Amino acid sequence: MKGVNWRHFDFWLLGAVAVLTIFGITMIRSAIAGNIELQELNLVRRQLIFATLGFIVVILTASIDYHTWSTLNQTMYVGMWILLGVLFVTGAVFFGSARWFDTGVILIQPSELAKIVMILVLADFFSKNQHRLGDLRVIMQSLILTVGIVIWILLQPNLSTSIVIFVLWFALLFAAGLQPKHLFLFIGLGIFAPIVSFPFLVDYQRERIINFLFPDPEARHGEIYNTQQALISIGSGGLFGKGYGHGTQVQLRFLKVRHSDFIFSAIAEEFGFVGTVLILLLLLFVVYRCIRVAHLAQDTFGGLIAYGVATLIAFQAIVNIGVNLNLLPATGLTLPFISYGGSSLLSILLGIGLVESVALRQNPLEFSTA
Amino acid sequence: MSRDYSSRYTLLGTLFTMLAALIFGQHVSLLLDHQRGEILEEVRTSHLGSIWTIHPPRGLIFDRKGQLLAGNEMVYEVGIDYRSIDESSNQAHTIALTSNVYFGLDYYKVKVTIENPPNPHQVYLPLAKGIEKEKVDQLQNLLAIKESDSRLERAEKARLAAQLDGLVLQPYMKRVYPEPLLASNVLGFVGYTQQGLPEGYFGVEAKYNEMLSGTPIRIWVPNDPRMVREFPPIPEGASLILTIDRELQAAVERILEENIQKTGSETGVIVVLDPKSGEVWAMASYPRLDISRYWEYETLSRSGHFVFNRAISAMYEPGSVFKVLTMAAALDKGVVTEETTFLDKGAIEVGGLVIYNWDRAGHGKQTMQGCMQLSLNVCLAWVATQLGAPDFYAYLQAFGIGHTTGIDLDGERAGILKLPHEEYWSPSEIGTNSFGQGVSVTPIQMASAISALANEGKIMRPHVVRAIVKEGEQFMISPSVSSIPISAKTARSLTEMLARSLEAEASVALVEGYRVAGKTGTGEIAIPNVGYTSNETNASFAGWGPVDDPRFVVYIWLEKPSTSIWGSEVAAPIFPQVVKQIALLMNIPPDRYRKAAQ
Repeated sequence: MKGVNWRHFDFWLLGAVAVLTIFGITMIRSAIAGNIELQELNLVRRQLIFATLGFIVVILTASIDYHTWSTLNQTMYVGMWILLGVLFVTGAVFFGSARWFDTGVILIQPSELAKIVMILVLADFFSKNQHRLGDLRVIMQSLILTVGIVIWILLQPNLSTSIVIFVLWFALLFAAGLQPKHLFLFIGLGIFAPIVSFPFLVDYQRERIINFLFPDPEARHGEIYNTQQALISIGSGGLFGKGYGHGTQVQLRFLKVRHSDFIFSAIAEEFGFVGTVLILLLLLFVVYRCIRVAHLAQDTFGGLIAYGVATLIAFQAIVNIGVNLNLLPATGLTLPFISYGGSSLLSILLGIGLVESVALRQNPLEFSTA
Repeated sequence: MSRDYSSRYTLLGTLFTMLAALIFGQHVSLLLDHQRGEILEEVRTSHLGSIWTIHPPRGLIFDRKGQLLAGNEMVYEVGIDYRSIDESSNQAHTIALTSNVYFGLDYYKVKVTIENPPNPHQVYLPLAKGIEKEKVDQLQNLLAIKESDSRLERAEKARLAAQLDGLVLQPYMKRVYPEPLLASNVLGFVGYTQQGLPEGYFGVEAKYNEMLSGTPIRIWVPNDPRMVREFPPIPEGASLILTIDRELQAAVERILEENIQKTGSETGVIVVLDPKSGEVWAMASYPRLDISRYWEYETLSRSGHFVFNRAISAMYEPGSVFKVLTMAAALDKGVVTEETTFLDKGAIEVGGLVIYNWDRAGHGKQTMQGCMQLSLNVCLAWVATQLGAPDFYAYLQAFGIGHTTGIDLDGERAGILKLPHEEYWSPSEIGTNSFGQGVSVTPIQMASAISALANEGKIMRPHVVRAIVKEGEQFMISPSVSSIPISAKTARSLTEMLARSLEAEASVALVEGYRVAGKTGTGEIAIPNVGYTSNETNASFAGWGPVDDPRFVVYIWLEKPSTSIWGSEVAAPIFPQVVKQIALLMNIPPDRYRKAAQ
């Protein structure tokens, strides 16, 4: 084990993340301006507190050797399983789904943390079993490991987070060395599964998919409202936007959940095409830096962690923006670093901390040993 | 260790970059898609503000002395805004309970309405209209946060207000009538069109609807508080001053109702006119609608032969009152004079039809006054034949029979007068028409025709609006001559003749202190396919006075009186009762004081 060289700390990654987070808080401030109910909740200050906590977490996690998590693997998995189980049984019901834990001070969403825990657990599993990945039984073991956690999240019901975790599983499996024959098998299953599972979805999930595929031209205030308002916001923003705090769609509250799910549209209206492209490039840059760390990683475990975090950020960002641009049906996925949400910000910053931890312990090529 | 799959990291990175490129492409295409952009732009601008139609307060209606007959009051419409209803919360219960306690609405009905919108896209649904302002004030007082409220009270009020979020209270002006039965047949009422806009129905409210409602203003109201501008001033609707005298109207309505009870009549009308100007001083019609419950009109009109204003819309065969017009025509044309005598044998044949007197007896040699006094059908039929059909009908048309008088009330009907060149006319009609059978009239038509005798041969167009008040200025309606059927001389001599005949028979229609002229009428009622029945009649009386300078015309009609079928017994006694009230309320001194003063 080599000593930590802080020279390897990826300041470019942390810098880009910091810019995105601060920009997010600024945008939340504009999005909730004038809304007394949201202002009373002091969302901006909350997000600031979470961001500050988050950057402390980045430094702390970076300084801890990521191999430590490998030894805590089972504890984390069991702990997460119990946490989600308890939430399902007793959890407070919000917006029709039990996703939050009311600690009395803040509400925390364990399923956000579950994403990071699953990256660690699966990265550990795949790195340990990399040489046996040709065996379908090993793959099934990893799948059972994943389903064990996802089942609680699916029961909340929270389809989008469940899909994220399955995507993480598949992405990690692929990167760890999935055989091409198995790859095609899973792709086949991937096409087949949604068609079979459609009848088992909860009503609101099915409705959203149907509304996306076949929008009802008569619908005004109901189902397509949010998407329509998002498109209006994006369109009316134009090239340079209406300016911070001057978007009528945002300020007059036509755009709903403008501080979380639809914050991209709010950015589009106030900062225009230029603003959103910059955000998109920054997010891509973060993903690129994570993948770079994955390449430099000392071992497969580290590589898979960095790679998993990159996948998480990229997938969430693409799905969220895709929803905003009417490319995908409405989901509850937030835009990483930018959307309001303490748990998701803290979790994703924890992920960045892990990536930095991997970066700090990279294998310096110039001193490569046999 | 079996590495190295790290190239797959790059593969996925490339995949994400491609997806990002796809997003970039979608973003660009959204910005460049003009067709879609136009649709969305339309939606966006439709959300920027809304066009409000502001209706000015409806003009007021006063009687001739300035007493309010129709005014406005602010009331509220209570409705549900489904966009603000959160199904998972307890809002339906809270709103239903509040509407029950404060507005007296049915709890379950409201709850069910909230829980089951008529369709998923329903935005708003009204629950009740006409909720009094005091009730709304009470609720708003309860919710208002006061300085003295504790933190807990404030939180509780805010919580309740949030629960009541979908309950919409919308103020609007409602028409109110201080005395909803008084002159309701003249006023009409304000109902609502299918679009929910107020509109006048019947009477003055309908006839002057546009003037009363004023010009609604359409303005664009932005939702953006930074763009809010001041409302332009809204010109009020014009107010009306009627020719109706509230006191006289009330008195005449009371007299009519008392006499309908006493005579067992089905319906009745009393019209009081000023013959010199055509102003209607009172117009009573029984039965009448309570216009504060105007919606009952529909059931009333469907259930029976309810007529909103019988004085202008009910048609009937007038009977002997009509003889006044026949005699006036003959005197005016000069085919008979006051001195002309007629030998009444009890029957006369006109156009193949034998006409008898009401008592089926002959009355020997009679002067024209005697013919009128005894109301001899045979004599009047002869008078009409002396006049000849062309002249007879020309005079009737000049008197306004067969067409509307043009009174400024909605719903006037023309009556029916068959003319010689028309298909269904037969030569015998001239005989029957001469004493008011086979011809159909409205009470206002008869009162207007008779007023020629009381106004030197001139008929003034009857009207109920005396002046229009608009933006602080009062415009008087000037009286206009509608026609001049007879000469002043004829008018005076026939008036004198009819005054003498009332005196000669010591009629119950005579009024102490005032010399009056008049004529009774008993019209037989024709039943389709059966013919005339003689136990169901229209009893009427037309009277005017004072004879030397007539100031009023009174027309009385009772339908199907049951105590007696004769106009002379049921309608004539009402005349002096009405005249006494006119004299008192319209300041008409008894003849001898007036003459002494001259």
